[in-house]
Amino acid sequence: MSVVYGKIVSLIIMERFGLVLAKVASFLFKTPDSPLLFIKRGTELPLSKIKESLCILIKHGLVTFRPNKNENLANYSLDSNKVLLMLRYPKYLNFVKKQFGDESEIIIEEVLLRGYLPASELILKVYDRMSKNCNKPPSLSIIKDKLVYLITSKYLKRIPSAENKPVPNLVQNETMMHVLPPIELKTLITYQNDQRTVLPDKNIYWTVNFERFHQDMRDKIVVAAFERKFDEHAAEIIKLFLRQMYVRTEPWSDISNPIPAMEVKDILKRQANSSVALAFFDQYLTVMEQDNSRLLRKAGEASGGSYQIHLKETFTQLVWNLIEQVILEKHDTKAARIFRLVKLKPYIEPDRIQQLAMIPAKDAKKLSYQLYEENFFRIQELRKTPTVSGPVKNFTLFHIELDNVVRMLLEMCYKTLFNHITRRNHERELNTRIIDKKQRVDTILMGMKSQGATPEQIADIEELITPPERVVLDNIDKIMKKLNTVELEVDDTIFMLFIKDCDEYATQRTSSR
Amino acid sequence: MDVKNIKFDPESHIIELAKQRPEGISNKDLKENMPQLDLPELTGVINKLLKGGVLELFKSNEELLYKYKDPSKKTTAKGSDNEEKVVYRIIEEAGNKGIWIRDIRFKSNLNMTQLNKVLKSLEIKKFIKAVKSVTASKKKVYMLFDLEPDSSVTGGAWYQDQDFESEFVDVLSQQCHRYLVERLDDAKKQGGSPVMVRNRSYATAAEVHKFIQDLGISKISLSVSDIESILYTVVLDNNAERTTAANGTFLYKATHNFIFPPGLVKTCCGTCLVANKCAHTGSVNPTSCTYLTDWLSGS
Ligand code: SF4
Repeated sequence: MSVVYGKIVSLIIMERFGLVLAKVASFLFKTPDSPLLFIKRGTELPLSKIKESLCILIKHGLVTFRPNKNENLANYSLDSNKVLLMLRYPKYLNFVKKQFGDESEIIIEEVLLRGYLPASELILKVYDRMSKNCNKPPSLSIIKDKLVYLITSKYLKRIPSAENKPVPNLVQNETMMHVLPPIELKTLITYQNDQRTVLPDKNIYWTVNFERFHQDMRDKIVVAAFERKFDEHAAEIIKLFLRQMYVRTEPWSDISNPIPAMEVKDILKRQANSSVALAFFDQYLTVMEQDNSRLLRKAGEASGGSYQIHLKETFTQLVWNLIEQVILEKHDTKAARIFRLVKLKPYIEPDRIQQLAMIPAKDAKKLSYQLYEENFFRIQELRKTPTVSGPVKNFTLFHIELDNVVRMLLEMCYKTLFNHITRRNHERELNTRIIDKKQRVDTILMGMKSQGATPEQIADIEELITPPERVVLDNIDKIMKKLNTVELEVDDTIFMLFIKDCDEYATQRTSSR
Repeated sequence: MDVKNIKFDPESHIIELAKQRPEGISNKDLKENMPQLDLPELTGVINKLLKGGVLELFKSNEELLYKYKDPSKKTTAKGSDNEEKVVYRIIEEAGNKGIWIRDIRFKSNLNMTQLNKVLKSLEIKKFIKAVKSVTASKKKVYMLFDLEPDSSVTGGAWYQDQDFESEFVDVLSQQCHRYLVERLDDAKKQGGSPVMVRNRSYATAAEVHKFIQDLGISKISLSVSDIESILYTVVLDNNAERTTAANGTFLYKATHNFIFPPGLVKTCCGTCLVANKCAHTGSVNPTSCTYLTDWLSGS
């Protein structure tokens, strides 16, 4: 992994957990599989601090451990991908909120904040929080239902239970992963009144199942792609195909099992607002199937035909598209044109490039070399065996290695993130004084409001911040907002680049468990 | 030699005289030998001989001398007709693709200086012409004067004096794209089933060709295959897709990308050309980067 990558990992941890943890994390990033004393030597932190840090990191699933040769010691490693996922938290929350409502959002938020916790505790926490913040808090049973839904639809998963050993092996019981714990509302209510009540599920912990979120995110991208390429009705059909796909196939397989078209049609029939998709169902299938992209392919004729979705292929094409767009924005249409030409005809002769792309020879050459310089192209030199006389002719042929470009773009994303976080920290540092002042004023205001101060008094306090300071504050606010949004968008790009290799992604998942 | 004879033919007399004196004859000699000719008459004759290449003019000791030019030594002048003929034939063979000077040399066995001379004279006489080839900017090819150069030499419609008319191509490409988009929109507006919409939005190169012709943006006449190559650039720009119809011709249809511009390029770092020089420390760094500053203060 690259240097920049390591830097963002430590920046992210620093932002959320502070300097000490960042130190431990970056040490583990550089030297994975280190035992405790090793970390002590590398970081020169007191042992107690390191233990505490590891505790927090493990709790959030950022550090994994496994027994050393000496089974009483553990070796710790940083799961850097998980660290990067922290950037995505707002997205998960937003998604849950939109999909399942406020209660679910707070449930997930609590779990994300704490890493993992038992269901009953979770319900109580959410209840507390919501009753504090809004005047009409939902009842315990509503929260419970929401939680149950999140568990059964796999947005939450049970964390593996530990064996009783000095360094426990975490064993995941696949069948139990999404099985509900016994939660009695009655017990919860008694607990609210008497904290000494024993909660029945106090040893069953739940954590967020990112994979499930990613699956939704992925589907959203696929559906959106179909919508853009065809139309909303085609997208609707694809959505249902994806849904039916999960009935039969592992969510992350490259190609779905054949899905009978009739099944999808039946669902459409039951949906009120999909009359167009239904009326032209077969035609939409034909159009999508005959399209050059070939993402949906006919698998068999039986019972009205069955179709397969080529997910891996889809994502490969999306990634190609993404790269082209990056080139388009970074350079211009001409460069993107050359890129696509070389993609379609690898090892094309330079002369042909200018002919087919219809770009003046000089520009074509310049752009090709620029793309080469930025690692989009690779070069193959061909030396024509010299004839008896005459100059030796060299051919320089361009071609593209997709994996390479993807890696390069990922690196670019990391770098962009790094730049943005650095800049954000810098801006914040520059204006610490004003920001601090604002915070102080805000706390005072809060206190006064709760004590029922008069509007004049409040206005007085508010005036402590001078107009020029207000301008600065507004400006910082704007900058922070902008940096935050863009960070999320860059993360979208990372996501796309990552899931191109569904299988690779899957192995990454297993390793991060 | 009698006077009469001389009077009749001053030319041959002068030639005779010059032949006898290979070292050259002066004006004085001429006067002495042909006192009967008056000066203007003599000048006329001499000039004629000089022009015809029979005499050559020399200057020695402030004196003008006329020397006889030996026709046997005159091969270069006389023989050049033959060489011209050979070279002409070689060039003629090459047709409208033209031939490169090096190849003429190999075929004609003339040396470079000679060949250059021949080519020059043929060119002056407007028998042949030199055309700059588009494939190599310094390479000239020769062909017969009244031939229209092949498109492989001129680059076809897209070249004006071996300069690629980039803007022209761009405009055409845009117009072709526009046509396809309009076609797609029309098809959508007409409605109907998805397959019908799709089929209606397909256009052949011939149709696009007609559209371009009617637009009248091209001064020169374009062929359908010219349009076909323009359409290919639209395909390469991912603005259209190409499929093969049942009869083997290509069909074009406007398309969309699968995705919107990715988040990465919405940032200035994603499109920054000095990004690989940018680091935490150093003169190019994110804290002081003005691109970032501008971008952040922008709306
Ligand atoms: S911080 Fe500035 S110089 Fe560095 S990559 Fe971003 S835009 Fe380019």
